Amino acid sequence: MSESLDKLFSPTRIKRDADALATWGCDWTRSFPVAPSAVVFPETIEEVQALVVLANAEGLQLVPSGGRTGLSGGAVASHGEVVVSFDRMNRIIGFAPADRLVTCQAGVVTQTLQEFAERQGYFYPVDFASSGSSQLGGNIATNAGGIRVIRYGMTRNWIAGLTVVTGTGEILDCNQGLVKNATGYDLRHLFIGSEGTLGFIVEADVRLTRIPEPQRVMVLGFEEFRGILKVLSHFQSRIELSAFEFFSELALQKVTAHRKLQRPLAKSSPFYALLEFDASAVADASAAFEHTLGEGWVTDGVLSQSDAQAASLWQLREGISESLAPCSPYKNDLSVRITEMPEFLDVVDELMRASYPDFELVWYGHIGDGNLHLNILKPDDLSIEEFYGRCREINPRLFELVQERRGSISAEHGVGLLKKEFLEYSRSPAELEIMRALKSVLDPNGIMNPGKLL
Amino acid sequence: MKVLVPVKRVVDANVKIRVKPDKSGVDLTNVKMTVNPFCEIAIEEAVRMKEAGTATEVVAVAVGVSACQEQLRTCLALGADRAVLIETDVDIQPLGVATALKALQEKEQADIILFGKQSIDGDNGQTGQMFAALTGMPQGTFASEVTIENGKAYVTREVDGGLQKISTSLPVVITTDLRLNEPRYASLPNIMKAKKKQMDIFTPEELGVDVTPTLEVLSVEPPPVRAAGIKVESVEELVDKLKNEAKVIP
Ligand SMILES: Cc1cc2nc3c(=O)[nH]c(=O)nc-3n(C[C@H](O)[C@H](O)[C@H](O)COP(=O)(O)OP(=O)(O)OC[C@H]3O[C@@H](n4cnc5c(N)ncnc54)[C@H](O)[C@@H]3O)c2cc1C
Repeated sequence: MSESLDKLFSPTRIKRDADALATWGCDWTRSFPVAPSAVVFPETIEEVQALVVLANAEGLQLVPSGGRTGLSGGAVASHGEVVVSFDRMNRIIGFAPADRLVTCQAGVVTQTLQEFAERQGYFYPVDFASSGSSQLGGNIATNAGGIRVIRYGMTRNWIAGLTVVTGTGEILDCNQGLVKNATGYDLRHLFIGSEGTLGFIVEADVRLTRIPEPQRVMVLGFEEFRGILKVLSHFQSRIELSAFEFFSELALQKVTAHRKLQRPLAKSSPFYALLEFDASAVADASAAFEHTLGEGWVTDGVLSQSDAQAASLWQLREGISESLAPCSPYKNDLSVRITEMPEFLDVVDELMRASYPDFELVWYGHIGDGNLHLNILKPDDLSIEEFYGRCREINPRLFELVQERRGSISAEHGVGLLKKEFLEYSRSPAELEIMRALKSVLDPNGIMNPGKLL
Repeated sequence: MKVLVPVKRVVDANVKIRVKPDKSGVDLTNVKMTVNPFCEIAIEEAVRMKEAGTATEVVAVAVGVSACQEQLRTCLALGADRAVLIETDVDIQPLGVATALKALQEKEQADIILFGKQSIDGDNGQTGQMFAALTGMPQGTFASEVTIENGKAYVTREVDGGLQKISTSLPVVITTDLRLNEPRYASLPNIMKAKKKQMDIFTPEELGVDVTPTLEVLSVEPPPVRAAGIKVESVEELVDKLKNEAKVIP
């Protein structure tokens, strides 16, 4: 079977050396075995299609691979699959100003798209700490969120058209970049968030928006988690927020030590929030701060006096994930409705402390979207396997708490391998049945990212 | 002991600046302006002197357009006690600033005048030295450490290839280098309090000085655009290009 692959891909576009297999065979996770049989680099939609046809004929299994920054093992190849990397399908194909649409191949790096938009005088608002490496195809396949969801929504909101190659080798041109299209099921949305299990995303029409006015950043300190949500609603009643992020004192300690950053406030607080908003709203934002200070919801706060300071304050939030990496964290990416959040945080905290008093918990997240990242840090004396085992043991009880609140066990990182066994806590049996049925229509032979999600 | 800190309003370091089409200068319309980072370090040092009990009063002063009040308010939020604006619409240059500050110093009689070592827009690095020359004060420039003790200033200077320690009498002119300290963020409660702090505004005429520029800018040019990088297919090609095109290896 490997000869047929060699017929499709010239030697520079197929790799089988150990280094390449180790590199392209995994994503940001480090806990799954990595064992692909080959890595291929298609350059055209037709090549992807030919590959799918070949895979169906010869029983190859394919793992779509983007920037490999995924946090749930979605792009990991553990069982001799062929990794299909979009690194060489990285061209921006066209830009239509009147439609405000950029047409991109799936392998365009998120930051490249952001910079392209800016050069045209527009803005692509999906952004997070891994934008410099993640690809548009990976963002779409995981419906990535990030730091400005509160204002701009998820990747889904910005995808106006999608070209996919299904697991049966069909090329679908979904929604063609149209604003209005009332012709039945919108298959585009089926592929957004499908984690490479239904087909390959090969091209997308991405909507752009206006460049926002200059932004200002506040970091506020809180004694109590409940205060954060009161502050969120109060600010939202007065100004439009571009971001409302949250981190705990331990997260701040990790990131300031790792990146050698200055602490934002004179005194430490158990919790912090980072707010971003238009510079023109600064007077209203300051008034909102005065009110929340008067109410005793916040203890202190700082306001960026320059773009350079705004960037430094953002590092306090954006650098957290990276600063935790040396502690091999077990990552939970949970969401509940904002109203549920204070009580949810309390019960989760209680559960974790009761079960694992020896584990350090780092809380942070996109709190304005009801999304909490709970990272459990590995104590030095435990092996990774042992540590992950113990984290997984607690998951059923943790996810029951999520389920009781009709929340999600994976807000934006996807299910992949990491959360697969727990999907039932967020999806009903009836839903799972329909999801499997859809999979069997679009990928009847199960060649697409087998073992992921479902 | 009184500390006077001159601060300059400059373009934000993170802004990508553009040269005006007529090459008369940098286009400043709708561009974010901030306190010059080296002046921010000077304010921080002065506030720390006050917190340590060395200084009793910190006065921030700017020479320039009315909008400089914004940057002075930031300094007040960072801990300056009061501010002075010497307001002028002329395109002020280092000698003009030094002359205006000399007149102010005659009124203020500060013991330490803490400048930033240079401003990130003009990059002149002259104002502190000109002020020292005009007033005849001793100077400790490019300071990475400052101690005031028994009526003397001990300044560690960042000089080419090392550090130089000097001591001087007071009053003294000190200019701050990058490593002197890391400025704090402006806290919101202090920003609120800063609104009520005293700010005096004088014109150069009121101080009896002439700040008319003595230099004429002929033309401002953007730096040449760097050629884009290329990707090579093999190590051989790379070596070939380094040898024959870049000529960096024999
Ligand atoms: C430091 C850090 C911070 C992060 N912050 C955020 C955040 O704030 N918000 C957020 O949502 N995520 C975040 N992530 C997670 C991650 O960056 C995103 O999920 C991102 O969208 C993944 O893109 P990628 O190209 O790296 O995908 P990969 O990891 O390569 O793949 C992800 C999934 O998409 C599939 N896939 C990739 N390309 C295609 C394609 N062309 N067709 C079909 N399927 C495909 C893969 O099979 C896999 O299942 C963060 C990650 C890191 C490391």
